[in-house]
Amino acid sequence: MEVQIPLLTILLVLPFIGAIATLFMGGERAKSAKYVAGAFAGITALLSLLLFFANDLSFYDECYGWIDTAGLKMSFALGVDGLSMLMVFLTSVTVFLVILFSAAEKDRPNYFHTLILAMEVGLLGVYMAQDYFLFYIMWELTLVPMYFMISWYGGPRRHYAAIKFFIYTHVASLVMLIGIFALAFNAAAITGGGYLADFSFAAVAAASPLFGTTFQILVFGLLFFGFAVKMPIVPFHTWLPDAHVEAPTGGSVILAAVMLKMGSYGIIRVCLEVLPEGAVWWQPIVILIALLSIVYGAFACIAQTDLKKMVAFSSISHMGMVLLGIGCLSDAGVTFAIFQMFAHGLITTVLFMVCGLTGHNAGTREIPLLGGLAAKMPIYSAFMMFGFMASLGLPGLVGFWGEFGVIFSFYEYTVSIDMIWLIIFCLLSLLLTSGYYIWAMQRTLFGKETDKIDVAHVHDVSLSEGLALGVVCALIALFGLWPDLALGVIQTFSQGFISGVMI
Amino acid sequence: MFIEFSWLIPLIPLLCFVIIGFFGTKMHEGGGYLAIAGAAVSTLIAVLVSYEYWTSAAFASGVPYVASMEWFAFTSTTGSFVMNVGVYIDSLACMMMLFSSFISLLIFIYSVGYMSHEGNKKRRYYAEVSLFLSGMLGLVVSSNFLEMFIFWEIMGLCSYLLIGFWSFKHPEGDAASINAASAAKKAFLVTRLGDVSLMGGLFVLLYAFQSLDYTVLFDVNNIAAVDSNMIALAMLLVFGGVIGKSAQFPLHDWLPDAMAGPTTVSALIHAATMVKAGVYLTARAFPLFVQVEYVMLFVAVIGGVTAFIAATMALNNMNIKKVLAFSTLSQLGYMILGLGAGGYVMAIGIKHGDPALIAAGAAGYVAACLHMMNHAFFKALLFLGSGSVIHAVGTEDMRQMGGLAKHMPITSKTMLIGSLSIAGFPLLSGFWSKDLILESVMDAFTEPVGWVFVILWTLAVITALMTAFYMFRMWYMTFHGEEGHAAKHCHGESPRTMTLPLMILSVFAAASGLLILFGFGDTVCIGFDGTKFIVGNGHGHDAMYYLEHIFTNVYTYVTILLALLGIYVAYLMYNKKTLNPGRFNKEGQSFIYRLFANRWWFPEFYDQLSLKLGYGTACGVDFIDKQIIDGTVNGLSSSVVGGGEVLSRAQTGNLHSYAGVVVGGTIILAVIAVALFYFMGGI
Repeated sequence: MEVQIPLLTILLVLPFIGAIATLFMGGERAKSAKYVAGAFAGITALLSLLLFFANDLSFYDECYGWIDTAGLKMSFALGVDGLSMLMVFLTSVTVFLVILFSAAEKDRPNYFHTLILAMEVGLLGVYMAQDYFLFYIMWELTLVPMYFMISWYGGPRRHYAAIKFFIYTHVASLVMLIGIFALAFNAAAITGGGYLADFSFAAVAAASPLFGTTFQILVFGLLFFGFAVKMPIVPFHTWLPDAHVEAPTGGSVILAAVMLKMGSYGIIRVCLEVLPEGAVWWQPIVILIALLSIVYGAFACIAQTDLKKMVAFSSISHMGMVLLGIGCLSDAGVTFAIFQMFAHGLITTVLFMVCGLTGHNAGTREIPLLGGLAAKMPIYSAFMMFGFMASLGLPGLVGFWGEFGVIFSFYEYTVSIDMIWLIIFCLLSLLLTSGYYIWAMQRTLFGKETDKIDVAHVHDVSLSEGLALGVVCALIALFGLWPDLALGVIQTFSQGFISGVMI
Repeated sequence: MFIEFSWLIPLIPLLCFVIIGFFGTKMHEGGGYLAIAGAAVSTLIAVLVSYEYWTSAAFASGVPYVASMEWFAFTSTTGSFVMNVGVYIDSLACMMMLFSSFISLLIFIYSVGYMSHEGNKKRRYYAEVSLFLSGMLGLVVSSNFLEMFIFWEIMGLCSYLLIGFWSFKHPEGDAASINAASAAKKAFLVTRLGDVSLMGGLFVLLYAFQSLDYTVLFDVNNIAAVDSNMIALAMLLVFGGVIGKSAQFPLHDWLPDAMAGPTTVSALIHAATMVKAGVYLTARAFPLFVQVEYVMLFVAVIGGVTAFIAATMALNNMNIKKVLAFSTLSQLGYMILGLGAGGYVMAIGIKHGDPALIAAGAAGYVAACLHMMNHAFFKALLFLGSGSVIHAVGTEDMRQMGGLAKHMPITSKTMLIGSLSIAGFPLLSGFWSKDLILESVMDAFTEPVGWVFVILWTLAVITALMTAFYMFRMWYMTFHGEEGHAAKHCHGESPRTMTLPLMILSVFAAASGLLILFGFGDTVCIGFDGTKFIVGNGHGHDAMYYLEHIFTNVYTYVTILLALLGIYVAYLMYNKKTLNPGRFNKEGQSFIYRLFANRWWFPEFYDQLSLKLGYGTACGVDFIDKQIIDGTVNGLSSSVVGGGEVLSRAQTGNLHSYAGVVVGGTIILAVIAVALFYFMGGI
């Protein structure tokens, strides 16, 4: 008999061991924590790469009984499909690069790496869970390390930002939890397996066609709120800029590149897959919120003076684009929304690393204090320009395909409801996006060399930072020139994903 | 045998970009020789490919050579599409790639001299111009709109990088570098506005045709299946992209500012790449444009207006490069006007099935294409000539020049040829194409709303007068009269790497228009036989037709006289000094003078618009975000937890109490959830 290697469990256990190991590397050994963390994260990333090129993802499906008592059925079930796969790949690669990038971290490096690896466990768990209870546990698991990441390693207002981040997203998770309970209880009642509540994805999916319309609309609302705060959407976004401004670079990268995606992942995975009738009812509102986020986020970017806050707001705008694709309720929309999630994950990694470098190497991130950095920091400037260009959707880089596809799907939708003019908002946001990026570059990189900061201490990127940035930029170009690499994987999930109810 | 390798044409400069970008610092001249070699190979392949296409059976039967492969496919329940990459070679593409690669080659050679003192910035320069050339050539050979759009945007990026080449550490100091950064920003954002519009057009086309391949979109049967309003909308949006890229009114204002870059870059942008892309796109998408006549009317009006107002701005400008920039705008306006007028006539011809009108419309297309090529040669010559002057005297202000003819004889003479050509001096290239454009506008007089074309024709003729005047104003101010302050420090004639391209270009600038007598009209042409669009071959007119048409038309002599008059007035004002230009300008205060000198106040208008509307809205949003949305969040949390004092105390990091709150909350919510389930269980 062929023995199947539990690859997914290994993916989850590796960073967990790494986290424990680095936790106990106090004192003298703290300096070498980065090598241990790097090794564990590196192997995890390589395994996920292996998984990325697997022929049949459904082969990797692992389920272990967990809690089966008092009418509750929860299992430790993991699985991947086209949607999960991209996110797992993104998570493991980002985490590895963050560790590489943060090689110079001097402040309690062992705990820093523990927190990063603990986050990786939670994130991978969210993306691979096949059980709602496991999903929720993992979801909450990501919160705690991020809280400590901000409040230990953050900027001057780190406690405020960390508490705000924690409470805000936790309240949202609790609302989501109500939705999950509703799903599990109702599914158990419908499938009639003798349980009071059955949390497995399979049971809920099996019961999904029998969910009543009112139930779907209500539960969609609860879950959507929970997920959307995480994305985040306007007007529930204000935790994000604060968290980003205070978080250390590594934390920001993970937060923006991977953690925000949990929200959109949840919407696709739960709201759309399980509650299609609810999705149809909520569609106009979702579209409206998405458009609002896109345009509002873009305008807010223009007014920011902190480079990192600007990039944080740009995340809101770009995640609005993801929500817009989801809101189209079409195969194309979902496909390109997922692509946009992936693209934004890669691009935002560059952006936050660059912001971190600005603060660290130039001494401040305040745009009005900067200027003429290109002369002193040419490599940094090249990366910044590359990241900004990718983010504003330059064709040939990965960001273009997500935006192009999403707006095209949205155009299809607007034609179907006879309101073509709605795409003006998307096109406007593209223009605004170019506007704030180009303007920010003009003020930071070009023009007169600044005299408002200590120019003598300005220095360019270090080797490990450059290496990490170089790898992400290469990935951005690779997936931009060869979008099929990601689209192919996504389409194994999204082809025919949209149920008949939604069309 | 060569045409199968036409994809190499854009790829070779792209390869040069990558190699120079990474290893340029270790190479001679920062990779300059590699860039030249790359452009030379591309030119060679372009020549071979064009020769092969023009001798092929495909050309003889009026179809393009198309080869493409799948890039990625998308399938869904609502519609699937396949994105291809490939090449689409017809006479238009051949003409474009020939003159783009050839002129770029000359500009690269010239750069060796012009950029000689740039030190380690040469690597960046040669890498970026190679990418720029690759963008243009890729755009030209693309086989579908999306592929074209990608190269279109790459060119936008390159123009941004190159206009801002001196945006830090400018040789002339900080003010100049701030200026360069601002100009680069303006160029990128204004063209981006057009690009966004173009992207919108692509969405409409992709939705309507389920494809963006030229072969699908230009197929009459497919076109017939699509609602003509949709095509009109798509083409108006696509033309929005043209307005941005080819700097047409009202998005023309970035081009004069773009002079902040090195002069070679200006030559590249104005002659070989960038602004030609918009005109090319209009010509390329002609089969779609001519489906709706009012779209073409719009195109023509935009072109005519641009030609006129841009010429007025050149009349009293003192900066040698800016004068040339305005003249580019004006000439681009002519091209768009020719395409619009010809397209308008052709659209009506197609609508009524009238072959005579279709042929008359095709003449406008031919004229615009010819003018595009002629302009590429004489504008490259003029820019490189002005670069030679600036290189020698170190200023762009024409008041500080003067009398340079004896210091720089080659530059002076070659620029004279360029100026005569652009002014429309009889038998030089500008004369042929400009006259043909004017005639194609006249062909539209007898069609519906012909009065619009009468106005446009009048504007275009006045523009011809102004063109002759401002070009010779520039030439006399630079090369004749008293020596200005800077002219006294003139280094003398520029090195051979710079004068050689000037001399080569002046031959083309003088003679390229004569191609109209050697089959240009039969080659770069578009026809429609009722069932399909025919590219090139035999559907234009022969040399005798054009000769007869041009020289039997009384208005031809009117424009010749106006051109000569313009030259003569410039001679009187700036050489003989018998006519004082100050009489039109009462101490710089006359309204007309200020109108022209301030570019009709477009820059102020845009600055105010972006400041008040863009930045103002942004500040409003920021206020709402901080005060109202976040204010509500903070207010809510403090009222829940019990005042800001408590919250701030809680923020000291005591997570235990929070854990308690969280666990308690979870339990309460779980109870609610169970109740909810029982409440709704029956649904």
